[in-house]
Amino acid sequence: MASLAASSISFQPPHALATSRVSGLKLVSFMNQGRNSLSFGLRPMPARVRISCAAKPETVDKVCEIVRKQLAVPSDKPVTGESKFAELGADSLDTVEIVMGLEEEFGITVEEDNAQSIATVLDAAELIDKLCSGKSA
Amino acid sequence: MNIRCFQRNFSAAFPPLVPLQLPSPMETHLWYILPDEVKNSALLNQYSELLSPCERESVSRMRGDQLKKRALLARALVRTTIARYQTNCQMNPRSLRFRKNLYGKPEVEWRNEDNFNPPPLHFNISHTSAMIACGVTVNVPIGIDIEEKQRRTKNNIIAFAQRYFSPYEVKVLTAISDPEVQRQEFIKLWTLKEAYVKALGKGFSAVPFKTFTIRFRDTTMRNFHPPESSVSEESDIVVESSEDPTDPANNWRCALLEVAGSHYGAICMEKDRIAGENAPPKLTVWKTVPFVEDVCVSGTDAVLVLGGMIEQ
Repeated sequence: MASLAASSISFQPPHALATSRVSGLKLVSFMNQGRNSLSFGLRPMPARVRISCAAKPETVDKVCEIVRKQLAVPSDKPVTGESKFAELGADSLDTVEIVMGLEEEFGITVEEDNAQSIATVLDAAELIDKLCSGKSA
Repeated sequence: MNIRCFQRNFSAAFPPLVPLQLPSPMETHLWYILPDEVKNSALLNQYSELLSPCERESVSRMRGDQLKKRALLARALVRTTIARYQTNCQMNPRSLRFRKNLYGKPEVEWRNEDNFNPPPLHFNISHTSAMIACGVTVNVPIGIDIEEKQRRTKNNIIAFAQRYFSPYEVKVLTAISDPEVQRQEFIKLWTLKEAYVKALGKGFSAVPFKTFTIRFRDTTMRNFHPPESSVSEESDIVVESSEDPTDPANNWRCALLEVAGSHYGAICMEKDRIAGENAPPKLTVWKTVPFVEDVCVSGTDAVLVLGGMIEQ
């Protein structure tokens, strides 16, 4: 879907690609709304170029929130992208509950082999973004 | 006498460990620590001395003192317990090496030295915030899982079961009208399923929970026991694999316990073909504080068999 949109862009890119992640987000949600014109200041980028491989900050934040709630992490303890579930005290039931919470929040299905490889908040966020962008493609 | 005994540096700083007899075939030894009973900081420091640098680092990365203590006790329990089972000589718990199998299941890495026959020990651990448990067998793999009886799920139980459990298990849970009983039966099922996957040692993804069913089977042909009624000693726990219905996973024997009044514990072990079907599955349970004391709690209120053909 992204490549289809890129090929239909015909204006010159006047801006730097610093916020490519944001443009990616807008591209995806835009396509979901079913519209075809790209008239509101998107920074175009060739779809094959991934400027950033990290997960979107808003995904990371949402995962942190879900993890914090599931594990009842006290508010004075930080939960960040690098946080490992096991180090926050998650056992296997917690991890499965977190995955289920993420499935519901993001409308995705996480297969067992993917679930098993999630060790940190960032792992989960990256998987979510991958599954979400796969859905809308 | 193995000459190697004298070559091992047994630090004088550690109290001696009381040696243990190996479990017999089809016997499970279950050891557990109640972390709240271990408060002595000198003792905790001794435990820390047992760990490998890598393990110590893992412990330090746990967020919060309770989690650190739990991680420390788990490693100390495994090291001291396995060291005590050395039949020929006293093994230094600090010198044991561990590794993970291809799928991530922890196992002992025995040194490949001349004349040293490592005991055919298998072990598995599980912990909650209130208990650390280690199951030990010989010859056959074992998996254990413990959960606090009061454990609550954040998700709705039936929604969770529909997502992860087999259709039969969903049916059994849905049929329970009392939410508290339903929650308890859910936790019991969870521990049994976890114990089975851990016993297989191939990881969660190799045996997704949906692909096998745990059934309670007893002589009266009812399919589960309400917790209030006394459980028939005859009740068996069967694992059925939906991937291969012709082989009802009869290779694996499961038992469900209530431990220390506070936890459900599930044990799953492979049947020992050599020992044969006639070897009665036995269970011996100890509450322990490594270096300090063992209390055999088999046959007391601290260990109630809720299902599975196992005798204490």
